[in-house]
Amino acid sequence: MRLHLPLLALAVSVATLGAAPALAQSATAVRTMPVTGNAPQVCAMQRGAVQPGGLVNINGIDGDTLRILQLTDSQTLAARAASATISFAAVCNFPHRVRIESSNNGLWPTDGRISSTSPDFASAVPYQAQLLWGTANGALSADATVRQIANRSWDVNQPTAGDLQLRIEIQQGASNVEVNAPVLAGGYADTLRIFLEPR
Amino acid sequence: MMRNSLLFASAFAALALPAAAQAQSETDTKTFAVIGNVPAMCAGGTLVGGNSTFDLGVLIDTTTGFLRTDLAAPNKLLSGAYCSGRSTITVSATAMAAQNFTATPPAGFSRTVDYTATASGWTTTPASFNTAAASNAAATQTRATAFTGDITVGINGFATGGGNTLRLVADTNYRGLVTVTLAAAN
Repeated sequence: MRLHLPLLALAVSVATLGAAPALAQSATAVRTMPVTGNAPQVCAMQRGAVQPGGLVNINGIDGDTLRILQLTDSQTLAARAASATISFAAVCNFPHRVRIESSNNGLWPTDGRISSTSPDFASAVPYQAQLLWGTANGALSADATVRQIANRSWDVNQPTAGDLQLRIEIQQGASNVEVNAPVLAGGYADTLRIFLEPR
Repeated sequence: MMRNSLLFASAFAALALPAAAQAQSETDTKTFAVIGNVPAMCAGGTLVGGNSTFDLGVLIDTTTGFLRTDLAAPNKLLSGAYCSGRSTITVSATAMAAQNFTATPPAGFSRTVDYTATASGWTTTPASFNTAAASNAAATQTRATAFTGDITVGINGFATGGGNTLRLVADTNYRGLVTVTLAAAN
């Protein structure tokens, strides 16, 4: 019997060594399943809304148009001060650039036949567009010196969400010639575009 | 001649019989057990159709930047799973997280998407795990008997980490992981 014991013990040991890994492998079964998706680069901006109490000599926003109530002073014919602050709910979910662009670099006559014939009369009205968006805070000065596209841009180094604020301001007596110069009769307009775009 | 032969036979018997009688009287019994065992075993089954990835595609509404409200992915089916005895099924999951944008997101943004992963078909109450929850008591369910069958694994209940008022930062790779574990239980 004693002779058999080592043999039995050996057999048990072999069985244990052989069985343990098999048990470990099969007692538990694991399945893993990845969950994937992506968020593309997106910039979006809603229609603008005039900030309450932020209007001076402007009757509000009509669609995408800001209409100045009275561009000139009825007595002096010089430009009257006007201002408005417009908010645009916006988002860019990646580092981006914000750019504002004036088509005319100021308010210029809508009728192309109107042009300055005298340095005593203003044929264009300059204004300033102040922009606040995330870390970007600056202004485009549409100085009306030359009728051309004018723009300015700022890099925004992080995703940004919230209100983009744009303040349009025409100074009292603003002119493309002398300050307080009378403004030639006619309609004046400019188109200001705001871009949220990849850098 | 014949007689001699008988005598020889008789003598042989006389010699042999006493010896045989002696062996029967000193009994020694040896018992050998024949044993075996069936270890508790579990197998996770075979994934039916397609690959193992829940691919949700574009996660956000591209007009607003917010998490889409219609996110969905087809369930996965593990066919022929089995456990040879009492077992537990456990589901765990990690929130989807942006793999490239690893910094803390700026105000108004998030880089994670929470969801609930569910494994059903094995136990009466499906095992489920919500990646947003601090604890998941229902993540492990126990089955008292051996069983073979299919396990359906699904994900749903998507929510932006930190709240649905946040938007997701742009990233080409949001990734999470669902793990289903079948284990033999004592």
